[in-house]
Amino acid sequence: MSSETGVRAVVEVLAKALADRPDDVRVTESQHKQVTLIELFVSPQDIAKLIGRQGRTAAALRTLASTAGEREGKQVTLEIRESR
Amino acid sequence: MNTTPIVDFLNRVTSALGITASVNVEETADGPRFNLTGEEAELLVRHRGEPLKALQHIVDSSYGRSLEGDKRVFVDALEYRKGKDIELRNMAKFLAEKAKQSGTDQQLGPLNPYERRIVHLAVAEIPGVSTESVGDAFSKTVLISLQK
Repeated sequence: MSSETGVRAVVEVLAKALADRPDDVRVTESQHKQVTLIELFVSPQDIAKLIGRQGRTAAALRTLASTAGEREGKQVTLEIRESR
Repeated sequence: MNTTPIVDFLNRVTSALGITASVNVEETADGPRFNLTGEEAELLVRHRGEPLKALQHIVDSSYGRSLEGDKRVFVDALEYRKGKDIELRNMAKFLAEKAKQSGTDQQLGPLNPYERRIVHLAVAEIPGVSTESVGDAFSKTVLISLQK
């Protein structure tokens, strides 16, 4: 496991723990003006798990992505997408 | 239960967050408790502990199923939630006594399922009062009333 630090790394660690197919998890980070966009790509099978009932898992991921962003003074937006 | 995967996971999270923290494990009758210590663990208790709640949710969905029976994993940092839980338990008991003496219903909440469980269990220790959760959202209010 990489010892990388930052929003992208945090989302990757969390998503890999949640996913049934951790090897299909891919996270990208890009800067759009003052907002940092994190895109989380997971296997179509894992989408439901990553979003969770009432979107609670997605909300938890967004909370922790923001927490990680707080460390670096970044405003974070997290999108969960299907990888193909 | 083998707690190593969860300890490893929490260490990966703190290192990805770039904070220095260590994980203490305590086995209790309710299941294992993980407490993150170190000054920088403060990051997780900001915003009324929202990041900690989020982390708890992710640990529940990732590792919760590996637990037997009604045991649960409990994730804490700097014993923040432990303190909050004790406060909530005391408040529940205080309101239960108040309901008993005054005869009027007491309300506590809105509370999440975990917090409601604490209230129900605390009030159950006091004879003559009963509890009921009201509401239809994820967070509900607990009504503490005199038993008829």
